Amino acid sequence: MQRRIPLLLVLVVGLFGAIAAFIPHRAIRTPDEILRNDVLRILTAFSLVLGVGSIVRHHIIRITRRVEHWPFSWVTLIALAITAVIGVLGGIDPAKPGLLATKVGSFSFHIDNVYRYIMSPLAATMFSMLAFFMASAAYRAFRARNLESTLLLLAAFVMMLGAVPLGRIIHPRLPAFAEWVLSVPNTASKRGILFGVELGILATSLKIILGIERGWLGGGGSR
Amino acid sequence: MILMVMLPSLAVSSEINSTGFPANSLHQVPVASNVRCHDLPNDGGGSIVVEWQSTDDPAILGFRIIRQQQDSATWETLGFAGRLARRYVDNDARDGFPYRYAVITVTEDTTTSSAPSEFGSCSPQWFDAGTAPALIGTLLLCGIALYFISAARRDRNLFIRRISGLDAINEALGRATEMGRPTLYIPGLSGISDVATIASLNILGEVAKQIARFGTPLAVPNSDPVVYTVAREVVKEAYAAAGCPDKFNPDSVFFVANQQFAYAAAVDGIMVRERPATNFLIGMFWAESLILAETGAATGAVQIAGTDATAQLPFFITACDYTLIGEELYAASAYISREPLLLGAVKGQDWSKVLIAAVILVFTILGLVFNLPARNWL
Amino acid sequence: MSLWQRLLNIDRRWIYAVLALVVIGPLLFPFSIKPKPSPPVERLFNYIDTMPVDKALVISVDFTPDTQAELLPMVIAMLRHAFATGHKVGVLTMDVYGLGLARDALAQVSAEFNAHATSHDDSVINGEDYVFWGWTTPLVTVMLGMGERITKVFPIDYYGNRTESLPITRELRNYEDVGILVTCAASAIPRSWINYAQVQFDVKVGCGITAVSAADFYPYLNSGQFTGMLAGMRGAAEYEEMVETKMIELGKNWRLRRKGTEAMSSQTAAHMAIMFFIIAGNIAFIVTRRKKR
Repeated sequence: MQRRIPLLLVLVVGLFGAIAAFIPHRAIRTPDEILRNDVLRILTAFSLVLGVGSIVRHHIIRITRRVEHWPFSWVTLIALAITAVIGVLGGIDPAKPGLLATKVGSFSFHIDNVYRYIMSPLAATMFSMLAFFMASAAYRAFRARNLESTLLLLAAFVMMLGAVPLGRIIHPRLPAFAEWVLSVPNTASKRGILFGVELGILATSLKIILGIERGWLGGGGSR
Repeated sequence: MILMVMLPSLAVSSEINSTGFPANSLHQVPVASNVRCHDLPNDGGGSIVVEWQSTDDPAILGFRIIRQQQDSATWETLGFAGRLARRYVDNDARDGFPYRYAVITVTEDTTTSSAPSEFGSCSPQWFDAGTAPALIGTLLLCGIALYFISAARRDRNLFIRRISGLDAINEALGRATEMGRPTLYIPGLSGISDVATIASLNILGEVAKQIARFGTPLAVPNSDPVVYTVAREVVKEAYAAAGCPDKFNPDSVFFVANQQFAYAAAVDGIMVRERPATNFLIGMFWAESLILAETGAATGAVQIAGTDATAQLPFFITACDYTLIGEELYAASAYISREPLLLGAVKGQDWSKVLIAAVILVFTILGLVFNLPARNWL
Repeated sequence: MSLWQRLLNIDRRWIYAVLALVVIGPLLFPFSIKPKPSPPVERLFNYIDTMPVDKALVISVDFTPDTQAELLPMVIAMLRHAFATGHKVGVLTMDVYGLGLARDALAQVSAEFNAHATSHDDSVINGEDYVFWGWTTPLVTVMLGMGERITKVFPIDYYGNRTESLPITRELRNYEDVGILVTCAASAIPRSWINYAQVQFDVKVGCGITAVSAADFYPYLNSGQFTGMLAGMRGAAEYEEMVETKMIELGKNWRLRRKGTEAMSSQTAAHMAIMFFIIAGNIAFIVTRRKKR
């Protein structure tokens, strides 16, 4: 019974969602839109509470058990609390004072400032690390070990030369060739992968709707 | 023509009266003509398409569309269409109520009305004819999958080619056990509505069962709160299925951050501090893929990745030990569990691919031989 | 251990250090690179350039601050292009973190134009020449809803004005009035714009994406579902170059700052450094393999 109800729900909602893609009548579309938009939005809102609860619990456990590196958990909890307080009480726009009108130096307690001066540079820093990781990964991976890896190396080289002015100096048509590699062989292989992916999605969805695949329920694996 | 001149005086809407329709302008300014209206096809009702003809005169600023409901004396203004527009969709119509429309041509100094259209009404449709090819394709591909699933009930010895990434799971988990270090499972950054995430959770179930048997620690950081709740249940059930529910640590599955790079930073921190022996990166990933995979490689962990995000595949291939490419992700739970019904669906996928390849080949040849025009939807 | 073996097993931190120097150096001492527009960039530029004046450009700022170095110059260049050619502009975001970026870009470009304006007609005015609808969710509802009535999806703009009351709303009601919608994103959102706006409403859609995800979108560019595409910093720099030429043509030789073009020298140097590493790594690999034999 514990399993049957979720499986029945998945069957009904899954088939309904599939049918709604082909029937525009509002008798079908309206409930489908309610399910997709409103119900999903409400679920997400509730689950976010669970998510925040999970962060808090996870780090409190680490602190109380004095797990290795536990002081970092304080950093997370304090950052979470400060952001929440500023978000709820501080207001959004620095031009309009919120309930927390005080300032620390030139920093006023507005969520916009948290976004602009803290989140923005931190996120940009993380993304910029990609360049360094890409360089070290390229250094290790692009080696002419065999025919396949040599082809990979050559393709990568053409692409990089096509992206810099040096490529045009070596041969004026090199950037166009790089563009061709990207838009023709690359697209062809990607489309091949995409066909497999879409069929995999279709088969997985079908297995879930029909209750054959039950791994997502946990433990069961399949029927 | 008489109607065209009379319409303004017939119209009782204040807006129409206030704008006025100078009759003398009819001779100088081109007017919208041949106004027709019909139900918008393949929709849920409530929409009528108004079409008209006009010349491409630069003096025209645009067209104002007005409508009149049958049995009503009032003409109401609906909206304004640009100079080049020849079509307007009235989305405020009531199903089953007849309306007629007129188009007022607006220039800098004049406003001139067309003759009204015939009365037309709208109604909702029970089938969107535009989706017929998609419906046929879906039914055909689902039919193939279902046939092979049912065939698998009879013939339970289905062959599936080796997938080295999945063969390596046991070896990688064994290594974590030997080293006494945790296993990190990252279920991607997408939501639960993404099938890649569901496929990842299927694999998580199987991995968690093995981990429960080996008794090694597991950490599953999540970036989506809904995925977090499902993942926790999956791991809990997997421990129960492995016969050791008491070993399940509810804190092993946790929510980290909803924001892409905040999540990447947190998981990188876990990799560097806890130094897991094995990392699974399975699901949907974006630009954070290499940040996670390279950090994992730097810590010396064995890494098994899997995604259907084609742009991220090169990063995983360069930085991870094994990578499940595209559809292998969806075949994984069947491969690991060796369940005949699941394997049957994989077989169905393969035959569907054969069918699609054949269709592409046939139509390419036909297209080349008969010089058929390329269609956008192809 | 020989020199070649050492090179083969080089600590990755050396690579990071060299790359950091190579990236920072040209930012401090830039060298000039004149970008040559690639076909996808040209296509997007030409479409916006030649679309009727009564059709609006809609920019969806669907990225977050982490990718702003690559994507924000694209938004700024497109805003300059649209305002210079007299097109109305609608801006929205599908990611709440994109709000601040879109707001700042609009503020910057409108200030640039207003600093040179001599009359009301030359000015770029919020509510008349552009509208910033802001952000709302969920994504599907927004993309489909905009096909019916934009004011229904965004009853209030980012600044708190009722959108129905804005003069621009009369000319920008739904997708029928949109000449092209350009989505700038580092995620899969452009694909959703195709699925919901392009496929269902036949709206022209262009995209600006990070270089790292460019390969993912080429199938859509080749199929014509994307009218044009700006890929990474290079795409931004190429678009900036075309906009600069256009503005000079229109007598607006204001010499505005072009961040995409400025960063190209740094990016080129980084590419060269990576190529150098790959060549050195391969030489080391071949030499050590021969020695082993």
